[in-house]
Amino acid sequence: MLDLLATPPNPTGASAPFWDACDRGELLFPKCGRCGHLFYYPRRHCPLCGDTALGWQRMSGRGTVFSHSHVHVAFQGGAWSGQLPYTVVLVDLAEGPRMLSRLIGADAPAVRGGDAVSVVFPQIGDRRYPFFERVPAG
Amino acid sequence: MPAVGSDVVIAGIGETPVGRLPGWSPVEIQAMAVLAALRDAGFALSDLDGLINLDPYATPNSMFSTTLAEHLGVAPRFACTVDVGGTVTGMTMLQQAVWAIESGYCNVAACVYGENALTGRPVGAQGLHMHNLLGGEEWEEPFGLHGMVIPYALLAQRYLDLYGATDEDLAAVALVTRRHALLNDNAQMRKPMTLEDYRASRQISSPLRLLDCSLVSDGGGALVLTRSGRAPQGGGRGVAIRAIGMKTTHNSVALMPDIPGLGMAAAGADAYEAAGMGPEDIQVANLHDAFTISVLVSLEALGFAGPGEGGALVRSGAMDLGGRWPLNPHGGLLSQAHIGGMLHITEAVRQLRGEAGRRQVEGARRALVSGNGGIFSVCGAMILEKP
Repeated sequence: MLDLLATPPNPTGASAPFWDACDRGELLFPKCGRCGHLFYYPRRHCPLCGDTALGWQRMSGRGTVFSHSHVHVAFQGGAWSGQLPYTVVLVDLAEGPRMLSRLIGADAPAVRGGDAVSVVFPQIGDRRYPFFERVPAG
Repeated sequence: MPAVGSDVVIAGIGETPVGRLPGWSPVEIQAMAVLAALRDAGFALSDLDGLINLDPYATPNSMFSTTLAEHLGVAPRFACTVDVGGTVTGMTMLQQAVWAIESGYCNVAACVYGENALTGRPVGAQGLHMHNLLGGEEWEEPFGLHGMVIPYALLAQRYLDLYGATDEDLAAVALVTRRHALLNDNAQMRKPMTLEDYRASRQISSPLRLLDCSLVSDGGGALVLTRSGRAPQGGGRGVAIRAIGMKTTHNSVALMPDIPGLGMAAAGADAYEAAGMGPEDIQVANLHDAFTISVLVSLEALGFAGPGEGGALVRSGAMDLGGRWPLNPHGGLLSQAHIGGMLHITEAVRQLRGEAGRRQVEGARRALVSGNGGIFSVCGAMILEKP
Protein backbone atom coordinates (compact mmCIF):
# COMPACT_ATOMS: atom_id res chain seq x y z
CA MET A 1 0.00 0.00 0.00
CA LEU A 2 1.03 3.58 -0.58
CA ASP A 3 1.45 5.94 2.35
CA LEU A 4 -1.62 6.07 4.57
CA LEU A 5 -4.13 8.84 3.99
CA ALA A 6 -6.46 10.32 6.58
CA THR A 7 -8.89 13.21 6.48
CA PRO A 8 -7.86 15.42 9.42
CA PRO A 9 -10.36 16.03 12.20
CA ASN A 10 -11.54 19.49 13.15
CA PRO A 11 -11.58 19.19 16.95
CA THR A 12 -13.76 21.20 19.30
CA GLY A 13 -12.62 22.41 22.68
CA ALA A 14 -14.17 19.26 24.14
CA SER A 15 -12.42 16.84 21.81
CA ALA A 16 -9.00 18.46 21.45
CA PRO A 17 -7.52 16.55 24.44
CA PHE A 18 -8.43 13.27 22.70
CA TRP A 19 -6.53 14.20 19.56
CA ASP A 20 -3.63 15.81 21.44
CA ALA A 21 -3.23 12.55 23.40
CA CYS A 22 -3.12 10.61 20.14
CA ASP A 23 -0.24 12.79 19.05
CA ARG A 24 1.57 11.62 22.22
CA GLY A 25 0.68 7.98 21.52
CA GLU A 26 -2.05 7.75 24.16
CA LEU A 27 -5.71 6.76 23.79
CA LEU A 28 -7.84 8.80 26.23
CA PHE A 29 -11.62 8.42 26.61
CA PRO A 30 -13.80 10.78 28.63
CA LYS A 31 -15.08 9.56 31.98
CA CYS A 32 -17.83 11.10 34.08
CA GLY A 33 -16.62 12.41 37.43
CA ARG A 34 -20.06 11.91 38.92
CA CYS A 35 -21.37 8.53 37.74
CA GLY A 36 -18.14 7.01 36.43
CA HIS A 37 -19.51 6.36 32.93
CA LEU A 38 -16.70 5.82 30.42
CA PHE A 39 -17.80 6.81 26.94
CA TYR A 40 -16.94 7.52 23.33
CA TYR A 41 -16.89 10.02 21.68
CA PRO A 42 -15.88 13.09 23.69
CA ARG A 43 -18.64 15.52 24.61
CA ARG A 44 -18.99 18.33 27.12
CA HIS A 45 -21.40 16.33 29.24
CA CYS A 46 -21.91 12.73 30.31
CA PRO A 47 -24.51 11.11 28.01
CA LEU A 48 -25.62 8.83 30.86
CA CYS A 49 -26.25 11.28 33.70
CA GLY A 50 -25.82 14.70 32.12
CA ASP A 51 -23.09 15.88 34.44
CA THR A 52 -20.39 18.17 33.09
CA ALA A 53 -17.60 17.28 35.52
CA LEU A 54 -15.61 15.04 33.21
CA GLY A 55 -12.12 13.56 33.34
CA TRP A 56 -10.04 11.41 31.01
CA GLN A 57 -9.08 7.77 31.34
CA ARG A 58 -6.10 6.27 29.59
CA MET A 59 -7.27 3.20 27.67
CA SER A 60 -5.31 -0.01 27.29
CA GLY A 61 -5.73 0.20 23.53
CA ARG A 62 -6.64 -3.49 23.41
CA GLY A 63 -9.94 -4.70 22.06
CA THR A 64 -11.78 -7.07 19.77
CA VAL A 65 -13.35 -6.60 16.35
CA PHE A 66 -17.14 -6.17 16.50
CA SER A 67 -17.43 -5.77 12.74
CA HIS A 68 -15.34 -4.83 9.74
CA SER A 69 -15.58 -3.89 6.07
CA HIS A 70 -13.06 -3.86 3.26
CA VAL A 71 -13.74 -0.69 1.30
CA HIS A 72 -13.30 -0.83 -2.48
CA VAL A 73 -14.56 2.63 -3.49
CA ALA A 74 -12.79 5.95 -2.93
CA PHE A 75 -15.73 7.65 -1.21
CA GLN A 76 -13.49 10.49 -0.01
CA GLY A 77 -12.21 11.33 -3.48
CA GLY A 78 -9.79 10.17 -6.15
CA ALA A 79 -6.74 10.69 -3.95
CA TRP A 80 -7.87 7.63 -2.01
CA SER A 81 -7.61 5.28 -5.00
CA GLY A 82 -4.19 4.12 -3.84
CA GLN A 83 -5.60 3.19 -0.42
CA LEU A 84 -8.04 0.65 -1.84
CA PRO A 85 -9.04 -1.68 -0.50
CA TYR A 86 -8.72 -0.47 3.06
CA THR A 87 -10.39 -1.86 6.16
CA VAL A 88 -12.77 -0.05 8.49
CA VAL A 89 -13.44 -1.66 11.87
CA LEU A 90 -15.70 -1.28 14.86
CA VAL A 91 -13.58 -2.13 17.88
CA ASP A 92 -14.94 -3.07 21.31
CA LEU A 93 -12.30 -1.74 23.69
CA ALA A 94 -11.39 -3.96 26.63
CA GLU A 95 -12.77 -1.29 28.98
CA GLY A 96 -16.18 -1.33 27.26
CA PRO A 97 -16.84 1.46 24.78
CA ARG A 98 -16.90 0.82 21.04
CA MET A 99 -15.11 3.02 18.54
CA LEU A 100 -14.87 3.23 14.78
CA SER A 101 -11.37 3.03 13.35
CA ARG A 102 -9.19 1.67 10.59
CA LEU A 103 -7.41 -1.66 10.68
CA ILE A 104 -3.96 -1.51 9.13
CA GLY A 105 -1.17 -4.02 8.60
CA ALA A 106 -0.48 -6.69 6.00
CA ASP A 107 -2.88 -9.15 7.65
CA ALA A 108 -5.86 -6.78 7.74
CA PRO A 109 -7.57 -8.46 4.74
CA ALA A 110 -7.85 -11.71 6.73
CA VAL A 111 -9.57 -10.13 9.75
CA ARG A 112 -12.53 -11.95 11.34
CA GLY A 113 -15.12 -10.83 13.86
CA GLY A 114 -13.83 -11.28 17.42
CA ASP A 115 -10.15 -10.96 16.46
CA ALA A 116 -7.91 -9.29 19.04
CA VAL A 117 -6.58 -5.89 17.99
CA SER A 118 -4.39 -3.24 19.52
CA VAL A 119 -4.11 0.48 18.93
CA VAL A 120 -1.24 2.02 16.98
CA PHE A 121 -0.64 5.69 16.23
CA PRO A 122 0.72 6.17 12.70
CA GLN A 123 1.85 9.67 11.76
CA ILE A 124 -0.16 10.92 8.77
CA GLY A 125 0.49 14.49 7.80
CA ASP A 126 0.42 16.71 10.87
CA ARG A 127 -1.29 14.25 13.22
CA ARG A 128 -1.12 10.77 14.62
CA TYR A 129 -4.30 8.68 14.29
CA PRO A 130 -5.64 5.95 16.61
CA PHE A 131 -5.77 3.06 14.14
CA PHE A 132 -5.61 -0.63 15.04
CA GLU A 133 -3.59 -3.69 14.09
CA ARG A 134 -4.37 -7.35 14.62
CA VAL A 135 -2.63 -8.99 17.56
CA PRO A 136 -0.99 -12.30 16.57
CA ALA A 137 -2.81 -15.25 18.13
CA GLY A 138 -1.12 -16.93 21.11
CA MET B 1 -49.68 8.74 18.03
CA PRO B 2 -48.83 5.96 17.86
CA ALA B 3 -52.51 5.09 17.49
CA VAL B 4 -54.29 7.16 14.88
CA GLY B 5 -57.94 7.14 15.81
CA SER B 6 -59.11 10.02 13.72
CA ASP B 7 -61.00 9.98 10.46
CA VAL B 8 -58.13 11.55 8.54
CA VAL B 9 -57.26 9.45 5.50
CA ILE B 10 -54.80 9.38 2.64
CA ALA B 11 -57.09 10.51 -0.17
CA GLY B 12 -54.64 10.99 -2.99
CA ILE B 13 -51.25 9.77 -4.18
CA GLY B 14 -48.92 11.27 -6.75
CA GLU B 15 -45.80 9.87 -8.37
CA THR B 16 -43.61 11.39 -11.02
CA PRO B 17 -41.70 9.33 -13.54
CA VAL B 18 -38.51 8.04 -11.87
CA GLY B 19 -35.00 7.54 -13.15
CA ARG B 20 -33.57 10.46 -15.07
CA LEU B 21 -35.45 13.75 -15.25
CA PRO B 22 -32.91 16.05 -16.92
CA GLY B 23 -34.01 19.64 -17.04
CA TRP B 24 -36.14 19.36 -13.90
CA SER B 25 -35.29 21.08 -10.61
CA PRO B 26 -36.19 19.71 -7.17
CA VAL B 27 -39.01 22.20 -6.63
CA GLU B 28 -40.46 21.42 -10.05
CA ILE B 29 -40.39 17.69 -9.29
CA GLN B 30 -42.10 18.19 -5.92
CA ALA B 31 -44.75 20.40 -7.51
CA MET B 32 -45.44 17.79 -10.20
CA ALA B 33 -45.95 15.14 -7.50
CA VAL B 34 -48.28 17.35 -5.42
CA LEU B 35 -50.39 18.25 -8.44
CA ALA B 36 -50.72 14.56 -9.32
CA ALA B 37 -51.84 13.71 -5.77
CA LEU B 38 -54.38 16.55 -5.75
CA ARG B 39 -55.77 15.36 -9.08
CA ASP B 40 -55.96 11.81 -7.76
CA ALA B 41 -58.09 12.99 -4.83
CA GLY B 42 -60.15 15.35 -6.99
CA PHE B 43 -59.01 18.52 -5.25
CA ALA B 44 -58.15 21.82 -6.89
CA LEU B 45 -54.82 23.49 -6.18
CA SER B 46 -56.70 26.19 -4.31
CA ASP B 47 -58.05 23.61 -1.84
CA LEU B 48 -54.56 22.98 -0.48
CA ASP B 49 -54.02 24.61 2.91
CA GLY B 50 -51.32 22.41 4.40
CA LEU B 51 -47.93 21.65 2.84
CA ILE B 52 -45.17 19.50 4.32
CA ASN B 53 -42.01 18.53 2.48
CA LEU B 54 -38.38 17.43 2.73
CA ASP B 55 -35.68 19.48 1.09
CA PRO B 56 -33.34 17.83 -1.45
CA TYR B 57 -30.35 15.90 -0.16
CA ALA B 58 -28.15 16.44 -3.22
CA THR B 59 -28.61 20.20 -3.23
CA PRO B 60 -29.63 21.19 0.32
CA ASN B 61 -31.84 24.21 0.84
CA SER B 62 -33.42 26.02 3.71
CA MET B 63 -37.07 27.13 3.86
CA PHE B 64 -37.97 24.62 1.20
CA SER B 65 -41.65 24.45 2.16
CA THR B 66 -42.05 28.14 1.38
CA THR B 67 -40.09 27.67 -1.84
CA LEU B 68 -42.54 24.96 -2.86
CA ALA B 69 -45.63 26.89 -1.74
CA GLU B 70 -44.66 29.89 -3.85
CA HIS B 71 -43.73 27.72 -6.82
CA LEU B 72 -47.05 25.86 -6.63
CA GLY B 73 -48.97 29.10 -6.26
CA VAL B 74 -50.58 28.44 -2.88
CA ALA B 75 -50.65 30.31 0.44
CA PRO B 76 -51.15 27.52 3.01
CA ARG B 77 -51.98 28.08 6.66
CA PHE B 78 -49.52 25.41 7.68
CA ALA B 79 -46.24 24.70 5.90
CA CYS B 80 -43.08 23.06 7.16
CA THR B 81 -40.06 21.07 6.10
CA VAL B 82 -39.13 18.00 8.10
CA ASP B 83 -36.00 15.87 7.96
CA VAL B 84 -36.09 12.94 10.32
CA GLY B 85 -34.33 10.38 8.16
CA GLY B 86 -35.18 7.87 5.48
CA THR B 87 -38.77 6.74 5.21
CA VAL B 88 -39.35 7.92 8.76
CA THR B 89 -39.44 11.41 7.28
CA GLY B 90 -42.48 10.41 5.23
CA MET B 91 -44.19 9.01 8.32
CA THR B 92 -43.44 12.19 10.24
CA MET B 93 -44.90 14.24 7.41
CA LEU B 94 -48.08 12.16 7.69
CA GLN B 95 -48.17 12.74 11.45
CA GLN B 96 -47.90 16.48 10.90
CA ALA B 97 -50.66 16.39 8.32
CA VAL B 98 -52.96 14.33 10.55
CA TRP B 99 -52.45 16.72 13.44
CA ALA B 100 -52.97 19.79 11.26
CA ILE B 101 -56.27 18.38 9.97
CA GLU B 102 -57.47 16.89 13.29
CA SER B 103 -56.96 20.25 14.98
CA GLY B 104 -59.26 21.83 12.44
CA TYR B 105 -56.60 24.22 11.21
CA CYS B 106 -56.27 22.58 7.79
CA ASN B 107 -58.63 20.72 5.50
CA VAL B 108 -56.34 19.40 2.80
CA ALA B 109 -52.65 18.76 3.42
CA ALA B 110 -49.97 17.47 1.05
CA CYS B 111 -46.80 15.62 2.02
CA VAL B 112 -44.08 15.48 -0.61
CA TYR B 113 -40.46 14.67 -1.32
CA GLY B 114 -38.63 14.63 -4.61
CA GLU B 115 -35.44 15.80 -6.22
CA ASN B 116 -33.02 15.10 -9.03
CA ALA B 117 -30.40 13.24 -7.02
CA LEU B 118 -29.25 11.35 -10.11
CA THR B 119 -28.87 14.06 -12.73
CA GLY B 120 -28.84 17.16 -10.56
CA ARG B 121 -26.06 16.56 -8.07
CA PRO B 122 -22.99 18.74 -8.19
CA VAL B 123 -20.47 17.70 -10.82
CA GLY B 124 -17.69 15.53 -9.41
CA ALA B 125 -19.49 14.84 -6.15
CA GLN B 126 -18.97 11.30 -4.87
CA GLY B 127 -22.32 10.60 -3.38
CA LEU B 128 -24.53 13.40 -2.17
CA HIS B 129 -23.78 16.44 -0.04
CA MET B 130 -24.37 14.47 3.11
CA HIS B 131 -21.09 14.99 4.90
CA ASN B 132 -22.55 15.12 8.36
CA LEU B 133 -25.31 12.63 7.82
CA LEU B 134 -24.18 10.38 10.62
CA GLY B 135 -23.40 13.24 12.86
CA GLY B 136 -19.70 12.92 13.33
CA GLU B 137 -17.30 13.96 10.64
CA GLU B 138 -14.71 14.09 13.38
CA TRP B 139 -15.28 10.45 14.39
CA GLU B 140 -15.82 9.01 10.93
CA GLU B 141 -13.93 10.81 8.15
CA PRO B 142 -10.47 10.42 9.77
CA PHE B 143 -11.08 6.67 9.87
CA GLY B 144 -12.03 6.35 6.21
CA LEU B 145 -15.80 6.37 6.63
CA HIS B 146 -17.80 8.56 4.30
CA GLY B 147 -21.37 8.14 3.11
CA MET B 148 -23.90 5.44 3.85
CA VAL B 149 -22.53 2.25 2.28
CA ILE B 150 -19.72 1.62 4.78
CA PRO B 151 -21.98 1.84 7.86
CA TYR B 152 -24.42 -0.60 6.29
CA ALA B 153 -21.52 -2.87 5.33
CA LEU B 154 -20.46 -2.93 8.99
CA LEU B 155 -24.02 -3.84 9.95
CA ALA B 156 -24.19 -6.53 7.26
CA GLN B 157 -20.89 -8.12 8.31
CA ARG B 158 -22.09 -8.19 11.91
CA TYR B 159 -25.32 -9.87 10.75
CA LEU B 160 -23.39 -12.52 8.80
CA ASP B 161 -21.11 -13.18 11.78
CA LEU B 162 -23.89 -13.23 14.38
CA TYR B 163 -26.20 -15.61 12.54
CA GLY B 164 -23.89 -17.48 10.16
CA ALA B 165 -25.82 -15.98 7.25
CA THR B 166 -24.38 -15.91 3.72
CA ASP B 167 -24.42 -13.79 0.60
CA GLU B 168 -27.34 -15.89 -0.63
CA ASP B 169 -29.45 -14.37 2.14
CA LEU B 170 -28.53 -10.86 1.01
CA ALA B 171 -28.98 -11.78 -2.65
CA ALA B 172 -32.47 -13.15 -2.04
CA VAL B 173 -33.68 -9.64 -1.18
CA ALA B 174 -32.15 -8.12 -4.29
CA LEU B 175 -33.67 -10.86 -6.46
CA VAL B 176 -37.25 -10.63 -5.16
CA THR B 177 -37.39 -6.85 -5.39
CA ARG B 178 -36.06 -7.05 -8.96
CA ARG B 179 -38.72 -9.60 -9.90
CA HIS B 180 -41.31 -7.18 -8.59
CA ALA B 181 -39.82 -4.13 -10.32
CA LEU B 182 -40.22 -5.92 -13.65
CA LEU B 183 -44.00 -5.63 -13.09
CA ASN B 184 -43.76 -1.86 -12.61
CA ASP B 185 -43.62 0.32 -15.70
CA ASN B 186 -42.33 3.20 -13.56
CA ALA B 187 -39.15 1.47 -12.38
CA GLN B 188 -35.52 2.30 -13.11
CA MET B 189 -34.37 -1.31 -13.32
CA ARG B 190 -35.91 -3.18 -16.24
CA LYS B 191 -33.71 -6.27 -16.62
CA PRO B 192 -34.09 -9.57 -14.76
CA MET B 193 -31.40 -10.39 -12.19
CA THR B 194 -29.95 -13.80 -11.39
CA LEU B 195 -27.85 -14.95 -8.45
CA GLU B 196 -24.94 -15.04 -10.87
CA ASP B 197 -25.57 -11.40 -11.82
CA TYR B 198 -25.59 -10.53 -8.14
CA ARG B 199 -22.32 -12.32 -7.44
CA ALA B 200 -20.69 -10.78 -10.52
CA SER B 201 -21.49 -7.26 -9.36
CA ARG B 202 -18.50 -5.45 -7.91
CA GLN B 203 -17.65 -5.19 -4.25
CA ILE B 204 -18.37 -1.74 -2.90
CA SER B 205 -17.68 -2.23 0.79
CA SER B 206 -17.58 -5.87 1.86
CA PRO B 207 -19.81 -7.76 2.20
CA LEU B 208 -21.99 -5.38 0.18
CA ARG B 209 -21.86 -5.49 -3.61
CA LEU B 210 -23.28 -3.01 -6.08
CA LEU B 211 -26.54 -5.00 -6.27
CA ASP B 212 -26.94 -4.80 -2.48
CA CYS B 213 -27.27 -1.03 -2.79
CA SER B 214 -30.33 1.03 -3.60
CA LEU B 215 -30.56 3.27 -6.62
CA VAL B 216 -29.82 6.96 -6.99
CA SER B 217 -32.87 8.47 -8.61
CA ASP B 218 -34.64 11.52 -9.88
CA GLY B 219 -38.31 11.59 -9.04
CA GLY B 220 -40.93 12.51 -6.49
CA GLY B 221 -43.83 11.16 -4.50
CA ALA B 222 -46.69 12.92 -2.74
CA LEU B 223 -49.66 12.13 -0.51
CA VAL B 224 -52.78 14.21 0.04
CA LEU B 225 -54.69 13.87 3.31
CA THR B 226 -58.13 15.06 4.33
CA ARG B 227 -61.07 13.88 6.41
CA SER B 228 -62.79 10.70 5.35
CA GLY B 229 -65.46 11.35 2.75
CA ARG B 230 -64.24 14.88 2.07
CA ALA B 231 -62.31 14.22 -1.13
CA PRO B 232 -64.26 14.72 -4.36
CA GLN B 233 -62.76 11.53 -5.80
CA GLY B 234 -62.73 9.97 -2.36
CA GLY B 235 -65.61 7.57 -2.55
CA GLY B 236 -64.38 4.55 -0.67
CA ARG B 237 -60.76 5.06 -1.65
CA GLY B 238 -59.45 6.81 1.44
CA VAL B 239 -56.78 4.74 3.18
CA ALA B 240 -56.58 4.91 6.96
CA ILE B 241 -53.41 5.27 8.99
CA ARG B 242 -53.98 2.84 11.82
CA ALA B 243 -50.75 3.33 13.73
CA ILE B 244 -47.27 4.80 13.54
CA GLY B 245 -44.47 3.71 15.85
CA MET B 246 -41.03 5.32 15.96
CA LYS B 247 -37.79 4.96 17.84
CA THR B 248 -34.52 6.90 17.77
CA THR B 249 -31.56 5.15 19.40
CA HIS B 250 -28.33 6.68 18.08
CA ASN B 251 -26.90 8.40 15.06
CA SER B 252 -23.37 7.27 14.19
CA VAL B 253 -22.48 3.65 13.47
CA ALA B 254 -20.08 3.50 16.43
CA LEU B 255 -23.04 3.94 18.79
CA MET B 256 -25.38 1.59 16.94
CA PRO B 257 -26.86 -1.07 19.24
CA ASP B 258 -26.22 -4.68 18.31
CA ILE B 259 -28.81 -6.11 15.90
CA PRO B 260 -31.35 -7.42 18.47
CA GLY B 261 -31.39 -3.97 20.10
CA LEU B 262 -31.99 -1.87 17.00
CA GLY B 263 -34.93 0.52 17.26
CA MET B 264 -37.03 -1.21 14.59
CA ALA B 265 -38.26 -3.79 17.10
CA ALA B 266 -39.48 -1.07 19.47
CA ALA B 267 -41.08 0.93 16.65
CA GLY B 268 -42.84 -2.18 15.37
CA ALA B 269 -44.02 -3.21 18.83
CA ASP B 270 -45.52 0.25 19.35
CA ALA B 271 -47.30 0.14 16.01
CA TYR B 272 -48.63 -3.39 16.48
CA GLU B 273 -49.84 -2.62 19.99
CA ALA B 274 -51.57 0.59 18.96
CA ALA B 275 -53.31 -1.10 16.03
CA GLY B 276 -54.08 -4.24 18.00
CA MET B 277 -52.42 -6.28 15.27
CA GLY B 278 -49.43 -8.44 14.55
CA PRO B 279 -47.56 -9.67 11.47
CA GLU B 280 -50.34 -12.19 10.88
CA ASP B 281 -52.71 -9.30 10.12
CA ILE B 282 -50.50 -7.86 7.36
CA GLN B 283 -50.78 -8.71 3.65
CA VAL B 284 -48.26 -6.26 2.12
CA ALA B 285 -44.77 -5.61 3.53
CA ASN B 286 -43.26 -2.40 2.17
CA LEU B 287 -39.99 -2.45 4.06
CA HIS B 288 -37.20 0.05 3.82
CA ASP B 289 -34.59 -1.42 1.50
CA ALA B 290 -31.81 1.11 1.12
CA PHE B 291 -29.58 -1.97 1.27
CA THR B 292 -30.45 -5.67 1.14
CA ILE B 293 -29.35 -6.06 4.77
CA SER B 294 -31.96 -3.49 5.82
CA VAL B 295 -34.74 -5.87 4.81
CA LEU B 296 -33.32 -8.90 6.66
CA VAL B 297 -32.91 -6.88 9.85
CA SER B 298 -36.39 -5.35 9.51
CA LEU B 299 -38.12 -8.67 8.79
CA GLU B 300 -36.75 -10.05 12.03
CA ALA B 301 -37.35 -6.92 14.11
CA LEU B 302 -40.96 -6.76 12.92
CA GLY B 303 -41.73 -10.39 13.68
CA PHE B 304 -42.01 -11.73 10.14
CA ALA B 305 -39.05 -14.02 10.80
CA GLY B 306 -37.04 -15.20 13.80
CA PRO B 307 -33.51 -13.94 14.50
CA GLY B 308 -31.22 -14.87 11.63
CA GLU B 309 -34.09 -16.41 9.65
CA GLY B 310 -34.89 -13.48 7.36
CA GLY B 311 -32.91 -14.85 4.43
CA ALA B 312 -34.58 -18.24 4.65
CA LEU B 313 -38.00 -16.57 4.69
CA VAL B 314 -37.23 -14.56 1.56
CA ARG B 315 -35.77 -17.59 -0.22
CA SER B 316 -38.90 -19.60 0.63
CA GLY B 317 -40.95 -17.38 -1.68
CA ALA B 318 -43.02 -15.93 1.16
CA MET B 319 -42.04 -12.40 0.13
CA ASP B 320 -42.86 -12.89 -3.56
CA LEU B 321 -46.17 -11.89 -5.11
CA GLY B 322 -48.44 -14.83 -4.36
CA GLY B 323 -46.57 -15.51 -1.12
CA ARG B 324 -47.70 -14.72 2.40
CA TRP B 325 -46.16 -11.24 2.67
CA PRO B 326 -45.19 -9.80 -0.71
CA LEU B 327 -42.23 -7.47 -0.22
CA ASN B 328 -42.18 -4.11 -1.98
CA PRO B 329 -44.37 -5.04 -4.97
CA HIS B 330 -43.26 -1.80 -6.68
CA GLY B 331 -39.61 -2.86 -6.63
CA GLY B 332 -38.53 -0.73 -3.69
CA LEU B 333 -35.47 1.43 -3.34
CA LEU B 334 -33.35 -1.42 -4.69
CA SER B 335 -35.02 -1.80 -8.08
CA GLN B 336 -37.73 0.82 -8.59
CA ALA B 337 -36.17 4.09 -7.39
CA HIS B 338 -34.94 5.74 -4.20
CA ILE B 339 -37.39 8.53 -3.50
CA GLY B 340 -36.75 8.55 0.22
CA GLY B 341 -39.36 5.84 0.75
CA MET B 342 -42.28 8.01 -0.36
CA LEU B 343 -43.09 5.42 -3.00
CA HIS B 344 -43.30 2.72 -0.32
CA ILE B 345 -46.27 4.70 1.02
CA THR B 346 -47.88 5.50 -2.33
CA GLU B 347 -47.53 1.83 -3.30
CA ALA B 348 -49.14 0.71 -0.05
CA VAL B 349 -52.11 2.99 -0.78
CA ARG B 350 -52.37 1.70 -4.34
CA GLN B 351 -52.30 -1.91 -3.13
CA LEU B 352 -54.98 -1.27 -0.50
CA ARG B 353 -57.20 0.39 -3.08
CA GLY B 354 -56.81 -2.64 -5.31
CA GLU B 355 -55.37 -0.49 -8.11
CA ALA B 356 -51.94 -2.10 -8.51
CA GLY B 357 -52.68 -3.87 -11.78
CA ARG B 358 -50.52 -6.88 -12.60
CA ARG B 359 -48.62 -6.57 -9.32
CA GLN B 360 -51.78 -6.44 -7.18
CA VAL B 361 -51.52 -8.42 -3.94
CA GLU B 362 -54.68 -10.52 -3.71
CA GLY B 363 -56.76 -9.74 -0.65
CA ALA B 364 -54.61 -6.81 0.46
CA ARG B 365 -56.35 -5.22 3.44
CA ARG B 366 -53.45 -3.96 5.52
CA ALA B 367 -49.93 -2.88 4.64
CA LEU B 368 -46.99 -2.41 6.91
CA VAL B 369 -44.54 0.28 5.85
CA SER B 370 -41.20 0.38 7.63
CA GLY B 371 -38.49 2.96 7.40
CA ASN B 372 -35.21 3.85 8.90
CA GLY B 373 -32.92 6.79 8.64
CA GLY B 374 -29.18 6.76 9.03
CA ILE B 375 -27.93 3.34 10.09
CA PHE B 376 -31.20 2.22 11.76
CA SER B 377 -30.60 5.41 13.76
CA VAL B 378 -34.25 6.37 13.61
CA CYS B 379 -36.79 3.66 12.85
CA GLY B 380 -40.46 3.77 12.02
CA ALA B 381 -43.25 1.29 11.37
CA MET B 382 -46.67 2.27 10.07
CA ILE B 383 -49.81 0.23 9.45
CA LEU B 384 -52.22 1.34 6.73
CA GLU B 385 -55.66 -0.16 6.20
CA LYS B 386 -58.09 -0.20 3.30
CA PRO B 387 -61.42 1.52 3.76
